[in-house]
Amino acid sequence: MSRRMLRYFDWVLLLATLALIAGGAIILFSATRTFPDPWAFVKARALHAGVGIAVLIFMAVVDYQTLGRFWRTLLVATIILLAVVDVVGRTAQGAQRWLPLGPLSFQPSEVAKVFLIMTLAKHMDGFKEINGLRQLVPVLAHAALPILLIVQQPDMGTSMVMVAILATMLFAAGAPLRAMGSLGAMGALAMPVLWQMLHDYQRRRLIVFIDPGADPLGAGYALIQSKIAVGSGQLFGKGLLHGTQNLLHFIPEQHTDFIFTVIGEEFGFAGAILMLALFGLWLWRASTIAGQAKDRLGTLMATGVLAMIAFHLVVNVGMTIGMMPITGIPLPFISHGGSALIMMLAATGLLLNIGMRRKKILF
Amino acid sequence: MDYLPPTRRLRVVNAIIIALISVLVLRLWQIQVLQGRDFLRQSEENRIRDYTITAPRGIIYDRKGRPLVTSRPSFTVAVLPLELTTPGMVLPRLAALLGMTFQDIKARIDANRSRPFEPVRIKRDLPTHVVARIEENRLDLPGVIILAEPVRHYLHGQMGAHIFGYVGEVSEAELADRRERGYKLGDLIGKAGVERTYEEVLRGVDGHLRMEVDALGRPLRVLQRVPAVSGRSIALTIDLDLQRAAFEGLRLVLEGEALVTAQSGAVVAMDPRNGEILAMESVPSYDPNVFAIGISAKQWEGLTKDRLKPMLNRSTATVFEPGSVFKVVTATAALEEGIVNRSSTFYAPGYFRLGRWVFGDLRAWGTVNFIQGIQNSINVVFYTLGHRVGGEALASYARKMGLGELTGVDLPGEAVGTIPSPSTKQALVGEPWYPGDAVNMSIGQGAVTVTPIQIARMMASIANGGTVLQPRLLLFAYDKDRKPQPAGVPVVQRRDIYNAKTLAVLHEGLRAAVERGTGRASNLKQVHVSGKTGSAENPRGKPHAWFAGFAPSEAPRIVVVAFVEHGFRGGLASAPIVRRVLEAAFPAREASATEVKP
Repeated sequence: MSRRMLRYFDWVLLLATLALIAGGAIILFSATRTFPDPWAFVKARALHAGVGIAVLIFMAVVDYQTLGRFWRTLLVATIILLAVVDVVGRTAQGAQRWLPLGPLSFQPSEVAKVFLIMTLAKHMDGFKEINGLRQLVPVLAHAALPILLIVQQPDMGTSMVMVAILATMLFAAGAPLRAMGSLGAMGALAMPVLWQMLHDYQRRRLIVFIDPGADPLGAGYALIQSKIAVGSGQLFGKGLLHGTQNLLHFIPEQHTDFIFTVIGEEFGFAGAILMLALFGLWLWRASTIAGQAKDRLGTLMATGVLAMIAFHLVVNVGMTIGMMPITGIPLPFISHGGSALIMMLAATGLLLNIGMRRKKILF
Repeated sequence: MDYLPPTRRLRVVNAIIIALISVLVLRLWQIQVLQGRDFLRQSEENRIRDYTITAPRGIIYDRKGRPLVTSRPSFTVAVLPLELTTPGMVLPRLAALLGMTFQDIKARIDANRSRPFEPVRIKRDLPTHVVARIEENRLDLPGVIILAEPVRHYLHGQMGAHIFGYVGEVSEAELADRRERGYKLGDLIGKAGVERTYEEVLRGVDGHLRMEVDALGRPLRVLQRVPAVSGRSIALTIDLDLQRAAFEGLRLVLEGEALVTAQSGAVVAMDPRNGEILAMESVPSYDPNVFAIGISAKQWEGLTKDRLKPMLNRSTATVFEPGSVFKVVTATAALEEGIVNRSSTFYAPGYFRLGRWVFGDLRAWGTVNFIQGIQNSINVVFYTLGHRVGGEALASYARKMGLGELTGVDLPGEAVGTIPSPSTKQALVGEPWYPGDAVNMSIGQGAVTVTPIQIARMMASIANGGTVLQPRLLLFAYDKDRKPQPAGVPVVQRRDIYNAKTLAVLHEGLRAAVERGTGRASNLKQVHVSGKTGSAENPRGKPHAWFAGFAPSEAPRIVVVAFVEHGFRGGLASAPIVRRVLEAAFPAREASATEVKP
């Protein structure tokens, strides 16, 4: 690393990331302290964070242009991983998302998100400009295969994240607005077909999102209880380890997808705002890096990462306060889950990478 | 190279993100600040109770489908620690209602501190009038609830207790490696017997009931119900009729109604064709029902401190000197080694002299042949043979016949026993091998110890023509689809361990012992019985009484071993018990010995 790269190293982004992980670990402890081993999740978190930081360093140091050159390999790897998980994956709660790896298991769909950002960026970068079907068709086909494999698992949340990433990157790559508009319209038309493909539990989640009273004891239950948890935190919260909703296990998956309810309940509006501010800082740095990248590949990769984290944040927090339907996507850096944390740190590394190698600012 | 980033489009992306996050902030403001008070009230009123619906364990049947162990409904009183806001008021009241001490209840609650939302069971199997009184006083007992739970019911009380074992609350150690299998504190688990061996089969999957309740704990509505799945049933190889006969036979000895009075003993009956245990009894026994409802410390102490150790399965888990039953091994060794045949003659003057040692006998027999030697259990005959065969060979035949070796029966806690030999005695017993040891060992004395079930397996190998079979208690178990799955083919541990000549002489001698020798007390009209008695000298009291026999002599279908600790003489104490079991297996009415039963 040259001195220039060190000067351009984005310490704010790194510190925001570490702050989110550290704060998240405290929340995670609070959410899991009544489990048989109250420290198990925090210990796992420390391990995952350690591995994740190693991955972050790797992703930051190796020039993203070099990484981009392997895009075909990465794409094939993504598709193979997703195909393998369909065949031999471990099933949890009706979805086949986990790939056993000795004593561990990991979620290829988490890896797929970051790989898709890198491969799509390189692919789009290969075209001078994206202005017609000749460019759109290959790019869409490129994204469609992993997305369909994830839909098939089924993992609606992750596939939605990937669609959001694709759309944002296409937009940043300069795709004509009319083309994007028609794609959106086609997507809307495909909705009924998609509805048919959904599992029963997913349909129920969508129905209760529109009308929580429709099924207050079943799918609507989590929604009502998580709103009560967040709301009851009021301005300053009930205090760490004092959340009653948390303690009583009223909320399912409170250490993974619903971890925001613990923040809302125990730290109140102030805590939620602090967390959103940290994410805001993170997103601001990501957006700045996208805007200052020295080349189109950098901009596109950074935009993809930006879209990914922003979408995760908005959908995850939104669902706990009844603004979004319940989909199983984690809160970045905070929810329990090793694959997700490691890949979020990989994405952060990619951003740092692009930021360090940005062009000189000429004023 | 001049690259111009798509600044305008990035601004659009930023604007969208800022807008979305702003909406989140507004929404959070709305529900946390504007409506926060309301949600706080809701969270405080949120009284939801999670109940575990305890799944009944599987039923245990005998081989003919008669239930031996079932589950019956009962009431348990429990405390919800989170709702027990005034323990100082509630617990003394509860203690008075239950006839327990305040400390007992407090200790149980404290032990469950790590799971404040789970009910802590205070007392199981409450009588209905106590349930009624608790319900009447519900307002004065906030945090106290009544759960309906199945309780294990052992239909025959003390009989067969050692086969079935008992259930008890899972211990911390047992819990440590079972959490992921769904065990939690307060769950019942098989602690002994087949309850423990077949825990995985018998245990059901608990259900779950989530209810919304009012401030007084009265259920308002059911939010979620996951029904319990009861455990799978099993059928044992036990035949209730034979079990009863064995229990009765031992009971008579215990209660002084037999020729000999003693305090403890065991019976094992086994099908020599397949290793199926038809009866297994050990006395003194205990009533597993007291464990099912939570044994009190006092009862537990009574059972564990009892000098006679009623919890011990004397059929499998304790070792005893085999005495003259071991002569079967000596005879086999001598026959196989070609040292003796059926018409060999011996002079038995009533003692056997080896150097400066003299080994005694009951009396002087004069000149006898080998069959008479077995028939009358003449020590001198076996001293002579044992001395000639030698300790090493005796021990090796004993082991081949399954003595001093685990039988692998499907019960926990089986004991091994000891078969010393010149090369191993020092290591096993801590004493050197003396030249006289082979002589002593030939009549099953010295450091030789075995379990009654090993003797049964050995007799079965003679009865079935030379196959050492693994004894077993499981006939079939129901699988996940509730279809019976047989326990599989008999497990052959060794086969053809005797040659045909040896077998013929052993069968003749064992038949003679019952027909006109030491085992006459087991003779029956309806079926020919063969067998060997034993009276094992031991340092703790009167000799142990053994009888190991099989019937019908011509085509054995059952082996019965009876053992009476300090029962004095096998022929007096144990042979009548075997006879009683055989009478149950071959009722006098069906005089034909060839009719197939069981």
